[in-house]
Amino acid sequence: MMKMIWKTAAMAGLAAGLLATSALAADKTLNMIVIEGGDTTAMQAVADSYEAAHPGIKIKLQSYPFAQFFQVAELRLRSKDKGIDLVYVDAPLVASYASRGFLSKIDQGIDTSTLVQASVDAGKYDGTQYALPINNSAQVLFYNKALFKAAGITPPDGLTAGQSASQKQVDELASSKRWTWEQIADAARKLTVKDNGRTTQYGFSVEQFAELYQLQPFGESLGTDVIAPDGVTAEGYLDSPAWTKAATYWSNLYNEWGVSPKGLGYGEAAQLFTTGKLAMFVGGTWNLPILSATSVDYGVAPYPYFAGGKVLTPTGSWYVGVNAASADQQDAFDFAKYLTTSDEGTRVWFKALNQLPVYKPLLDEISTSPAFDTFPQDVFRLGVYDSLNTAKARPVTAAYGQLQDAFRTAFTDISNGVPVADALKSAVQKFEAAAKRVAQ
Amino acid sequence: MTTRRTPVFFAVLCLAPALLGLVVFRLYPIALAVSDSLFNVVRGDTIFVGIGNYLALAADTTFWKSLQVTLWFNLLMNPIQIALALGLALLYVQKFRGITLYRVLFLIPIGVSLPTAVIIWRIMLTPDGLVNGLLNVAGLPAQPWLTSEGLALYSIIAIATWKGISYWMIFIVGGLQNISPEIYDAARIDGARAWQRLVYITVPLLRPTLLFVLVADVSINFLLFAPIFMLTQGGPADSTNVLMYEAYKSGFIFGDMGRAMAIIVVLVLLLLLIVGLQFRLLSRRTEAAS
Amino acid sequence: MKRGAALGLRHLAYIAIAFVFVLPLWWAIVSSLRPNSEVFADLFPFTPKALIPVPFSLEAYSGILDQGFGLIIANTLLVAVVTVIAGIVVNGAAGFAFALFDFKGKGLVLAFVIVSFMLPFEAIALPLYSVTLQLGWVDNIAALIVPSVANGLAVFLFYQFFRQVPSDYLEAAQIDGATWFDILWRIYVPLSIPTCISAGLLLFVFQWEAFLWPLLAMPSQQFKVIQVGMAAFQQQYQTFWNQLFAVAVVTALIPIVLLLPLQRYYVQGLSSAGIKG
Repeated sequence: MMKMIWKTAAMAGLAAGLLATSALAADKTLNMIVIEGGDTTAMQAVADSYEAAHPGIKIKLQSYPFAQFFQVAELRLRSKDKGIDLVYVDAPLVASYASRGFLSKIDQGIDTSTLVQASVDAGKYDGTQYALPINNSAQVLFYNKALFKAAGITPPDGLTAGQSASQKQVDELASSKRWTWEQIADAARKLTVKDNGRTTQYGFSVEQFAELYQLQPFGESLGTDVIAPDGVTAEGYLDSPAWTKAATYWSNLYNEWGVSPKGLGYGEAAQLFTTGKLAMFVGGTWNLPILSATSVDYGVAPYPYFAGGKVLTPTGSWYVGVNAASADQQDAFDFAKYLTTSDEGTRVWFKALNQLPVYKPLLDEISTSPAFDTFPQDVFRLGVYDSLNTAKARPVTAAYGQLQDAFRTAFTDISNGVPVADALKSAVQKFEAAAKRVAQ
Repeated sequence: MTTRRTPVFFAVLCLAPALLGLVVFRLYPIALAVSDSLFNVVRGDTIFVGIGNYLALAADTTFWKSLQVTLWFNLLMNPIQIALALGLALLYVQKFRGITLYRVLFLIPIGVSLPTAVIIWRIMLTPDGLVNGLLNVAGLPAQPWLTSEGLALYSIIAIATWKGISYWMIFIVGGLQNISPEIYDAARIDGARAWQRLVYITVPLLRPTLLFVLVADVSINFLLFAPIFMLTQGGPADSTNVLMYEAYKSGFIFGDMGRAMAIIVVLVLLLLLIVGLQFRLLSRRTEAAS
Repeated sequence: MKRGAALGLRHLAYIAIAFVFVLPLWWAIVSSLRPNSEVFADLFPFTPKALIPVPFSLEAYSGILDQGFGLIIANTLLVAVVTVIAGIVVNGAAGFAFALFDFKGKGLVLAFVIVSFMLPFEAIALPLYSVTLQLGWVDNIAALIVPSVANGLAVFLFYQFFRQVPSDYLEAAQIDGATWFDILWRIYVPLSIPTCISAGLLLFVFQWEAFLWPLLAMPSQQFKVIQVGMAAFQQQYQTFWNQLFAVAVVTALIPIVLLLPLQRYYVQGLSSAGIKG
């Protein structure tokens, strides 16, 4: 009995082993870890075009689900796994990975002058380049035109179906017609419909609930960074008057005014929006294909700011780095270079994923090419304006995970009714205690 | 029983595969992991700190608060789950027309994986979700299930219990097989009532099974954090921040494996202490009964 | 009359309990039968329409078939079934030896067996991955099966059972001159069928829910198991709710279908646990 089982297991194992080795037929294989879904599809397209131009090299993608990607990457990088050559890195993790020696220093021979400088800088740690930006992100305000009309309110100036906009017109819109958070609150209260004590239509929501990426401009546009430049101090920053005002606004959205739904998961804001249960949300341009596939009649306006404050918008996205344990550094760098700084590589990536580029020639093309005149392609022109004028990168700190977690906890608690001062104080204390342990 | 001579070869043959597997795939890895608790990684440099991480925990208010939450969570959840699983098992083994259908329905949560169960319950428990909708139909006010300090922990206990009791029920149903029907017949002739038979016959004779379920359930629940990770991330105001989640955050989100492993060592020692007590209490009484 | 009322009352109690178990899955079934854009349509806020699949669509089920979920389920069944069979043999034998034989240091070894199931998987994941790398099992199905066969909980379950089998059986067999293998195979194994089923369930569910380990151990993802396949529905920018629920429904039904035929081993010779009458 036992023998038979082991035989079966061994045979099955052999079959799987054969499958795995057959991919080694090409001369050299580079393994890259990447997020499952659209990112993998786009990376495969870039890999295909690279392989066509570089015979003898094969790029093999190992894709992991978004929710587990960071954990698996952490485990495998920490074990100095040679089975990874290239790493897909989220912008704020560059410092954490670099500080622990997971990433190789970027080859001096790679010319980054064609990339948006702020994005290049976000790939540095302690003044050294460890990762190259693949694309950028842009956040905008989506609004449901029908719901505004039904409530009898004028929607914000924005880009919408059936119209076209030149880069100049978009610049004008973004620089002088941007709504304030105060205007959002006014409109949201009128757009919220309650029936018998229960909310049947919400006025406003953010896409990434309580996340630092989404909310960093809230307090920073009022004048105070979320943490000190040393990367470990939050006292006097996250609990400053500016952040207290921003967090109070956030609290009002959920408690005082009740215009936002509590605790939405990823993707649920878009779901509510397309079913007409949500009138406005701020979210990424990646929602465009999802919304355009439905019948909802919507418009896109610039990311709001506080009246009297500075206009700041979320930015930063995915980077590529080379695993320090990789046995094939040179080829890995060559693919990273192709992916981020070549005409062809960046173009294939943009076409497949539709994310705002960091490659300047592509940004110029978005500004000038007639292909981007009409909606929703013209929304990328809004992204171009923001990335050149208002984008504010996330803080560079080896304790980014700690910051993100303390921030999320505080803003979730605030939305659930915990007093603003208590929540911010507790976040400061938690972040500083945890950050000190890894970066004294 | 102890006077019997042990056939050494046969005993080794029986034990070797299991012990080898446990040593290679469980105990050796944990020994490596535990040594991590003696080190810190600061700016990429690994530094030996001895028991420094444990001393830091002793002075860490987050740790103590989290320990309290963990103990309260388990003190409530384990007795509830075992009592309900026992009750469910007794219902499961009844015989009447139509019981087969109920039995199928009782088994449903076994196949629903924990993450899936959590996703489903999260959507049902949102402020405007299905559960509040049903309350509304019944004329009751909506409740902030997962968003209030007072309710979140209990909502998580309820979800874990929904997912867990069918599973534990199966073990108890298996244990009920070992009780011979004649004992009940004899008790019935002596005029014992249904509840007396439950308390004086079923429960005492089920002790080995109940000990297993108790130990296994406590071990699993002490280490449970997936629902918390997915639903509340320790909040609101740390009310659901169990130790295992605190350790997970330190190790995987903060890159602070030293603290994570120190927490886990404390957690496993605590668990051992509790399980040791359970053995003391339940095993001794089993021997007295038999 | 009184009997009828009692019968009605009993059904009412069973229905109430079954309702709690069924409701979440019912909602998942309904959601899996809607197009993805309509999953939330009647839910926020809740209306009773959320409990009927209108608009009706089978796109989720055809979607999961297109993505090769049939193969993924077969993969998981293969891993789970091999683990269950090997695990019952290996852990059953160990539980038997612990229960019947005395040897020096037995208490300590048993304690180690018990500690082995108190370890959070997250804590051992990294060293276990290193062990697997050294064995050369990464991307090999053996990495999914072999480490899960020996299971401390299953050993403990068998130990608890074999300990309470009356020693009369054993003594009679020894007088007849039976070998230890005969004693195990002819006497103890038949008695332990319900325990084997429980242990099998334990091992099966462990593999059915396995997630982090298959992700780590099979980086090329050419051999996917259910939880890994399901995670793909929750992407960075959107979630395919209806497909997620379709898989949830299918995977919830499989263990039940496997358990049902085994029920007869449970319910035979069972006098309703003495509750009735």
